[in-house]
Amino acid sequence: MDGEAKRRNPRLVWYLTGIAAILGFMLTVQITNRPNNTTESGLASYLDLRSELVELSAEHKTIMSDIARQSAALAQFKAAEGSDADMRRALERDARSVAAQAGLTPVSGPGITVEIRDDPKLPFNQEYAGQFQQESDQILSQIVNDLFANGAEAISINGQRLVTTSSIRLVTNLSGTTTLQVNTYPVTPPYVIAAVGDVDHMRAALTVDDVVPLLQLMQEDCVIRVHPGPRGVTVPAYRGSLPGQWAKEVSHP
Amino acid sequence: MIWLPVLGLLVGVAVGFVSNVQIPLAYSSYLSIAILAALDTVFGGIRASLEKAFDDAVFLSGFFFNTLVAALLAYIGVQLGVDLYLAAVVAFGVRLFQNIAVIRRIAWGKVGKRRGSQAGVKQM
Repeated sequence: MDGEAKRRNPRLVWYLTGIAAILGFMLTVQITNRPNNTTESGLASYLDLRSELVELSAEHKTIMSDIARQSAALAQFKAAEGSDADMRRALERDARSVAAQAGLTPVSGPGITVEIRDDPKLPFNQEYAGQFQQESDQILSQIVNDLFANGAEAISINGQRLVTTSSIRLVTNLSGTTTLQVNTYPVTPPYVIAAVGDVDHMRAALTVDDVVPLLQLMQEDCVIRVHPGPRGVTVPAYRGSLPGQWAKEVSHP
Repeated sequence: MIWLPVLGLLVGVAVGFVSNVQIPLAYSSYLSIAILAALDTVFGGIRASLEKAFDDAVFLSGFFFNTLVAALLAYIGVQLGVDLYLAAVVAFGVRLFQNIAVIRRIAWGKVGKRRGSQAGVKQM
C-alpha cells in the first residue's frame, strides 16, 4: 500500500483506489438504505410489509372506485333534477348497484373453489385428528377471511353467499349433534368454498397459510381448484333476511 | 501513495451520498453480504501484496466474482428458505480476521526490522 508496494507493483495502488471507490459507494448505499430501527412498527418481516402494501393498495383501489361511482351517481342526480322519470331511473340504477355490492345479486368471474371433505385414508395424527369437526367454524372463517383479504370479491360456502351480516358457526342441539351453520342454514360436508376474485392472490394466500397440509393433518382432504375463465366460478345471491327488516334507521330531528 | 485508495474511498462515499441510490429493502441483505465479500477481497489483496504474491487478475476477478457469488448465495438461501447467507458471513468473517492477523504480523515484523537496522546504524 505504501511506496514500496508501489515500486513492486504500481498497478496495485490504482486497483485498490478503484476497488476502494466501489466499496465506499456500496457502503454508503447500504448505510443510507438501512431501515431505521427506532421507527420500526413491529413488522416482523418483509413479507408483512408486502402484505400490508398489497392490502393498502387494494383499499386505495376500492376507495377510488367508490369515489368514481358516487361521483357518477351525483352527476346523474344533478342531471335528472326536475324530471321525475329521470330521477326514478337514476335511483333504480343506484339501488341495483347497492344491491350488487350488498351481495343480493349472483356474480360470476374468475375464481377458485376450495373443497374440504373427510378422508380417513389420510395419516392419523393424534394431536390433530378430529380437530376440524370441533373447530370447523373457526377454520372456515379463517380461510374466508384470508380470501377476502387477498382479492376475493364474493364468496359462498355450499351455496350460501357471505355478506356483511353473515355468520359461520357450529351449533350443538340437545341430543349432542353438532351442525355447521352458514347464514343460519345448516350445511354438511363436503364443504365447498367458492370465491370470485384475484385468482393468483387468493391461491398464494392459501399456500402461504399452509391450508392444505394443516387440513390434511386433521384427516381432511382439501382440494383447491383454479377457474381462470371469465365465468369460471358463480357465487349465488344472498337469500337470507336483511338487517333492515327489524332494525330501523334512527331519524334525527 | 497511500492517499490514493483513501481518496478513492472518499470519492465512492461522496458518489453514494450524492446519487442517493435507493435499493429495495428486500435486497438490502444481499448488498450486506456483497460488501463483506468485497472487504474480504480487499484485505486479501493487501495481504498478498505484503507477501509479494499479488496478482492483478486474481485480485480483480476475486473482487467481482466473490461479491456476486455471495449475493447470489444469499438470494438462493432466501428462495430455499435456508439461511445460506450465514455460511457466507462465517466464511468471509473468518477469512477477514485471518487476513487482518497476517497483515498485522507482517507490518509488525517490518517495523521491528526497521528499528533493528536503525539501531545497527547508530552503533556503527
